[in-house]
Amino acid sequence: MIVTWQIGVRLALIVLLAVVVQVSFLSYLSILGATPDALPAVIAVIGLLGGAVTGAVAGFATGLLVDSLLLQTLGVSSLVLLSVGYLAGRYREQFEIDSPMAPALLAGGLTLLATAGFIGLQLMLGVEATVSLLVVREILIKALLGFLMAFPLYPLIRFALRPALVLEEPPTRRRIFRNRRRPVRRRRLRRASTEISRLNNAGARRPSDSASQGGVA
Amino acid sequence: MYRKQIRRRRTILVALIITSLVLLSAHFSEAESGPLHAIQRGVATVLSPLESVASEALKPARDLVDWFDETFEARGENDQLREDLAAARAELAQAQDAVGQNEELQKMLDLNDKIELAGFDPAYKPVAARIINRSPSVINATLGVNAGSGDGVEEDDPVISGDGLVGRVAEVTASTAQVQLITDPRNAVSARVLPDGPQGIVQPVAGDPDDLRLDFITNEQQVEEGQMLVTAGWSNDEISSAYPYGIPIGEITETTLGEQDFQRVTVQPYVDMRELQDVQVLTGGPARPGVSG
Repeated sequence: MIVTWQIGVRLALIVLLAVVVQVSFLSYLSILGATPDALPAVIAVIGLLGGAVTGAVAGFATGLLVDSLLLQTLGVSSLVLLSVGYLAGRYREQFEIDSPMAPALLAGGLTLLATAGFIGLQLMLGVEATVSLLVVREILIKALLGFLMAFPLYPLIRFALRPALVLEEPPTRRRIFRNRRRPVRRRRLRRASTEISRLNNAGARRPSDSASQGGVA
Repeated sequence: MYRKQIRRRRTILVALIITSLVLLSAHFSEAESGPLHAIQRGVATVLSPLESVASEALKPARDLVDWFDETFEARGENDQLREDLAAARAELAQAQDAVGQNEELQKMLDLNDKIELAGFDPAYKPVAARIINRSPSVINATLGVNAGSGDGVEEDDPVISGDGLVGRVAEVTASTAQVQLITDPRNAVSARVLPDGPQGIVQPVAGDPDDLRLDFITNEQQVEEGQMLVTAGWSNDEISSAYPYGIPIGEITETTLGEQDFQRVTVQPYVDMRELQDVQVLTGGPARPGVSG
């Protein structure tokens, strides 16, 4: 990704919008008994599109914003989300994203990692919680919701960051059609070149014929 | 060129991790009045109007999702409710007999004054507030409200709704406050079982937002399902509970004798934390030793 200042502004707006929607809308919902958390999925998608550095920086900024808005211990969400962004970016740098399921699976997996990491960090900071097995259920459901949310998030964020993306053009209908026509064009070319060589041969033969005729005469 | 890129990437990653860790440890060990807390409160104050607008704008969408959720749930509960209705009708006759007796007991225990202390004690000034954000974490059960120090809200002020105790104020900015719910694992409330039951500590279980646990009730002490819990308002000369006496917390739903000396008592809070839209922060009130608010 080529990060110009315009793209930086777009990234900042995506992050701000995601955080506001999360704390003002998604955190109020209860789906299958768990609260959906879109932020790891958003950061995973940014990492996938922009690479490890962009993902890590976006994750760090998002975490800082969330911790500030919710007046939580600063740095906890930053640490978790920057890891999410970095890992997603590294995945993109190492592997081809050739399946439409890949971003969703990655977002689901990284949501699981982020939720578990956040809980682990909080417990390390001295939150004396009696942890029920339901926490495991909550983590798994959040991961599932992260997987599902990635399906709309990936094309949306990709569309928003389109000018900065240096990606191979996906095989469009037009290209497929053009590829199909290529052999036809080749056949025509081959036919044309055969015709030219035939004409050349014919032209070359004519004087020699006359010469040979003359020789006989 | 490629090596340079790798070096740059690693440098940025290490710098971000170190910054996060420094922020974390500095913020964790810093006093509430420290510079990091001040910056954090500044950011929260600046963004609070945006949150308020977003919260209002997204309310119809939230209501729509709630409607689907409730409709789905209601269909499942329909059969159960029919059974409950039949049982309730049978109990109604008994209940009507009990009404007279109950009124007498209420007078004897002077519960009205105590339970409605929050609403009627002139020492407390309730400040109405609207919820503007929520934490998505299972460990941090907190919510933000649009009332802050400018409205007289202070740390450790109790927060209630029409149904009962919600939590206490954990952080305050000029125009917002962060409320730590009673379902937050960092919260513990000293509680009394009514009418004349024992006192214990109500604590949540992480990952189970619908139930609380009443600890330190010995196997010998009598508690039953359906008994009501209110804040105990416990205090000595040095430390006190953040909550005054008499705010309803919830009702006992299950008791099991423990293998050790203590019972396992499950409590269902009266307040449905997910459905909350508006709360009241009880500001002012009599000075309580060891409580900042």
